[in-house]
Amino acid sequence: MATFNEKKTCSQRMENFGRFLWNPDTSEFMGRTFAKWVYISLYYAAFYVIMIGIFALSIYSLMKTMNPFVPDYQDELKSPGVTMRPDPYGDEVIELFYNKAENSTYLPLVTSLCDFLSVYNKTVQEKMNANCSDNTRMSCANPKENSKSCQFTTDMLGNCSWEHDHTFGYKSGTPCLFIKMNRIINFVPGNKTVPLVNCSAEHGDLGDVHYYPGNDTYGTIGFQYFPYCGKKMQPNYTNPLVAVKLLNPPLNKELSVVCKVSGHGITSDNPHDPYEGKVSFKLKIEDKPGSSSAN
Amino acid sequence: MGKKEQYDMYAVEMEREEDGGMDVKIKKKSKGSKKQEKLESMKKEMDINDHEITIEELEQKYNTNVTKGMKATFAAEILIRDGPNELKPPKGTPEYVKFARQLAGGLQCLMWVAAVICLIAFGIECAQGDLTSADNLYLAITLIAVVVVTGCFGYYQEFKSTNIIASFKNLVPQQATVLRDGEKFQINANQLVVGDLVEIKGGDRVPADIRIITSQGCKVDNSSLTGESEPQTRSPEYTHESPLETRNIAFFSTMCLEGTATGVIINTGDRTIIGRIASLASGVGNEKTPIAIEIEHFVDIIAGLAIFFGATFFVVAMVIGYPFLRAMVFFMAIVVAYVPEGLLATVTVCLSLTAKRLARKNCVVKNLEAVETLGSTSVICSDKTGTLTQNRMTVSHLWFDNQIHSADTTEDQSGQSFDQTSDTWRALSKVTSLCNRACFKSGQDGVPIPKRIVIGDASETALLKFSELTVGNVMEYRDRFKKATELPFNSTNKFQLSIHELQDPLDLRYLLVMKGAPERILERCSTIMIKGQELPLDEQWKEAFQTAYMDLGGLGERVLGFCHLYLNEKEYPRGFSFDTEEMNFPTSGLCFAGLISMIDPPRATVPDAVMKCRTAGIRVIMVTGDHPITAKAIAASVGIISEGSETVEDIAARLRIPVEQVNKRDARACVINGGQLKDMTSEELVEALKLHPEMVFARTSPQQKLIIVESCQKLGAIVAVTGDGVNDSPALKKADIGVAMGIAGSDAAKNAADMILLDDNFASIVTGVEQGRLIFDNLKKSIAYTLTKNIPELAPYLIYITASVPLPLGCITILFIELCTDIFPSVSLAYERAESDIMHLKPRNPRRDRLVNEALAVYSYFQVGIIQSFAGFVDYFTVMAQEGWFPAYVLGLRSHWENQHLQDLEDSYGQQWTFSQRLYQQYNCYTVFFISIEVCQIADVLIRKTRRLSVFQQGFFRNKVLVIAIVFQLCLGNFLCYCPGMPNVFNFMPIRFQWWLVPVPFGILIFVYDEIRKLGVRRNPGSWYDKELYY
Repeated sequence: MATFNEKKTCSQRMENFGRFLWNPDTSEFMGRTFAKWVYISLYYAAFYVIMIGIFALSIYSLMKTMNPFVPDYQDELKSPGVTMRPDPYGDEVIELFYNKAENSTYLPLVTSLCDFLSVYNKTVQEKMNANCSDNTRMSCANPKENSKSCQFTTDMLGNCSWEHDHTFGYKSGTPCLFIKMNRIINFVPGNKTVPLVNCSAEHGDLGDVHYYPGNDTYGTIGFQYFPYCGKKMQPNYTNPLVAVKLLNPPLNKELSVVCKVSGHGITSDNPHDPYEGKVSFKLKIEDKPGSSSAN
Repeated sequence: MGKKEQYDMYAVEMEREEDGGMDVKIKKKSKGSKKQEKLESMKKEMDINDHEITIEELEQKYNTNVTKGMKATFAAEILIRDGPNELKPPKGTPEYVKFARQLAGGLQCLMWVAAVICLIAFGIECAQGDLTSADNLYLAITLIAVVVVTGCFGYYQEFKSTNIIASFKNLVPQQATVLRDGEKFQINANQLVVGDLVEIKGGDRVPADIRIITSQGCKVDNSSLTGESEPQTRSPEYTHESPLETRNIAFFSTMCLEGTATGVIINTGDRTIIGRIASLASGVGNEKTPIAIEIEHFVDIIAGLAIFFGATFFVVAMVIGYPFLRAMVFFMAIVVAYVPEGLLATVTVCLSLTAKRLARKNCVVKNLEAVETLGSTSVICSDKTGTLTQNRMTVSHLWFDNQIHSADTTEDQSGQSFDQTSDTWRALSKVTSLCNRACFKSGQDGVPIPKRIVIGDASETALLKFSELTVGNVMEYRDRFKKATELPFNSTNKFQLSIHELQDPLDLRYLLVMKGAPERILERCSTIMIKGQELPLDEQWKEAFQTAYMDLGGLGERVLGFCHLYLNEKEYPRGFSFDTEEMNFPTSGLCFAGLISMIDPPRATVPDAVMKCRTAGIRVIMVTGDHPITAKAIAASVGIISEGSETVEDIAARLRIPVEQVNKRDARACVINGGQLKDMTSEELVEALKLHPEMVFARTSPQQKLIIVESCQKLGAIVAVTGDGVNDSPALKKADIGVAMGIAGSDAAKNAADMILLDDNFASIVTGVEQGRLIFDNLKKSIAYTLTKNIPELAPYLIYITASVPLPLGCITILFIELCTDIFPSVSLAYERAESDIMHLKPRNPRRDRLVNEALAVYSYFQVGIIQSFAGFVDYFTVMAQEGWFPAYVLGLRSHWENQHLQDLEDSYGQQWTFSQRLYQQYNCYTVFFISIEVCQIADVLIRKTRRLSVFQQGFFRNKVLVIAIVFQLCLGNFLCYCPGMPNVFNFMPIRFQWWLVPVPFGILIFVYDEIRKLGVRRNPGSWYDKELYY
């Protein structure tokens, strides 16, 4: 292959490249004459216009087939996820670490809770949502836009409302947590019993806990909030909450806490989704002044 | 190919021709001192003086005895010192280097880089305490596994083909007769040592380089060493100072044709002359094959584009504001998406499939890539003897009764015979049967006559077989005519005679039969037999004889004259003691019986094969050591010189003008002999090659063969060389593809060659050319198929980075497409039939007709690839929308979507998703994108069946393997999607059936669009449309 592998000198290469850019013999610019460039450009322009047209048409017809109220499939939403507020994340998990002797460590949490709860303000809720009794059941069967959903107001949160304690108990070392279940259209958690919320420490003792709404052993999420019928039908839907008040959590000790929601149709044992039907977090409340200002 | 190596190859040649100048030249040219040392030592060893010294000195030197041989114990010692007497296989590259080479190609390097980036990313993530995503680690492991597995695969292929060659060696351990301690032994030739006294006889292979001590009519065939086709006499006399010329040395592996000799071994194994030529030739670096150049060319482009795309988007990502690490991961992902990981494996498999197919047709390919080289071949330099011809002298013509008769020269005796009723024929056949010393080796009754092994020289063999075929049992016939005496052929008399008793016990006359050079025979004749009558040999008959002799000689045939004489019973009664020294019997006044001419006839399949080569645009050049006339005659009879073509000399003879006045352009054919070649400059040779399309080189030396090959290469041709001798090995190495003969070929030639014809048949080369061309076309299709999907693999990343959508296609999924589902279909394209008669096209121009040309890449990337990308995105948006994420909402969603701390992200319907739920949704997207690519690739493999013809013309189901491949691909796709556990292992989700259907219209679009393209290309050949869209 000696003929192919002849080492070209740099100037030869440059000359070849120059000839490629502009070949005066055939008046070719980069291998094609001007007319050829026009042809090929037009060809590609036409090709891409048609392809984009087909694509746009596909997307348009796709959107035409969509039901505006209910998604076609909910393959990945078999069981609702559970979240809590406040949710200060460490590297991986929620780490609720603060020093009750230093207000700078918990004030951001309190502020975020205030923001979060502002939508549950009684006046706001009364303006946009209906007051339902326990046995009122919504139905998504006849979709119509801007239906009213059931109210959930802060006075249902009992001792965990802002009105009762402006720091939600953080200052006194009895913090409130707010557990919330994710919205899934047409999801109804069973028929007989309402979903129950229960928090416990994985190792060690969490101390006494009180749930609002609910009692000392578990919190409840009322039936009247189910099912959720989608943004279009219920634009003002607010998720029902369960406030968890830790009455005497151990101080200066790190605890892993799990809050589970149990009910028909709610699974909390999916190994691949730690937030399905439950939320876990680490808790550590200190009371030594100046010891851990970083948290 | 550096200058240095060229000199390596010439070294032995030069040794012979310019003994003095050699040293200086080597010193001047070789730069590496190590190489020089090696050559120096080589040179030293070449200084054989064993032929010059006396036998006593020889005995002393090697501590031996020329009558009793060596002491067995001493021989054993030397055996330990020198090693066995065999050619060491050429020192190949060490195995680990071969393996490392498989791991360090262009694409492999790129994948190593990608793997390293993955590992770095993983390391940094680990250091930051993020332990959840081991994806990068998996990816790195997968990438490394891919490189290693494809490397192992390539290595295995290479290993396997080397093994085929190894199996050729030591098929039959050669035996040698050796004298040790005064006793004769038959031992394996590899046990011989320097100083051993060996005996050789006709039919033996010389077991080592030996100094002849005694000899009786010993002749050896040195053709494999020097190219001389005439048998060379070997005798104890020292006749020439050059060891190659002198008569008292016989060389390792040459054939002893007749006679017997004893000699002392002076060199064994690799230290023999043959061993040195072989090791020198093997020192020549292998040239890159055209397909290797093509693949390298294309890998360079791919690697360049991958780095370009990667770097561009790395910069874009940095500018958009991604952190450095993420940008690096993007770079890596783009490289993974863009590099066709499975391609090299595909190419290897395709080539090895063809190699297997060829092996079934008696072509064994040593180097896989050589499969294609034959397809690009534009010049074949073919040896004559054994390749074009049958390599056995055969009686072709007879002249008796003043008429030329043709004998049957076909290999299987299927041809026409001549009229055998004449009495003259009876007399002639008696002479040919009796005046012949050759005999069949015993125990060959079942073997067809032409294939029987004969002891005797070539012409006697031919005559013996001819008699056996026409007369019948010659051996018995000879027994009936008892031989009284004989005089073997010698070069001074130029005839051979024998005297026999007659068959009839009552007839007490002796019959003297004689054969020899026709003019010498005629001189001794006074009568001539015509139709059984003895007529006086007058001028008229002499003229008739001359005409016949010239005619037969002009055909390049070896002519012998035959005559006989019944001796007077009174003068020479029974029991008369004939003395061949004294010549006490008449050797003149004989009766001329006829002429018989012999030739090594062309193989039956060759003319057809040469014709096929011509239609395929391949020039066949004959390069032979034989006489110009014979060479020309054979060239004409096989079609290398076609009918009506004339050489300059022919034109001059026809027009009766001097050769100088002939316009050289009129002569299509040209016969150049070695002597003329020596005086030509390389420019003149190139000029001659350009001027005359039909070339024959006769009387060439091995060195000249090399020059011819080089000149052809200078013209830009891809040259195939066929050869069998050791002397051919440098030319075989130099050629783009060296083809050695499996039966007649020497080990050195086989080692130097890239391909071996097991049946020594030129026609097999044509099959090779056809398969080579087919595989080039089919590789083009395979590569086009493989390249296409790189765009739909790359596009998701580009959109992901620029439009911030959730990732539509993951790296692992890409690897599954590349290495799992798409491998079989791309290999199946190797089974595709040729679209047109590829043997009617010109060979490809290696400069212009690239494997991967611009049209192929552009069409695959920017048209078919784009349609596939659109198919993927439509399916992606469908899945997203139907699960609750509308297209408009999805754009720009990436940072929220990938936020692991956001467990309640709202979709378009207000539903809230945890991170894991979103992740599975993302896997859904991966899977549908995967399915979209698969469905489009099915359309793609269908369209790639043809490049110009409509698929309907080619036949949908003709290629069964391809159909199976598509079914297999679908099954595999289904398995990946629906096998339980896949989501968490390989990120495949059991997607809904209707999402398989979304890309189908796009697949149909691809098919229809390509049919339109092919129609346009067929309808408007040569138009700009053809040029832009035909790949």
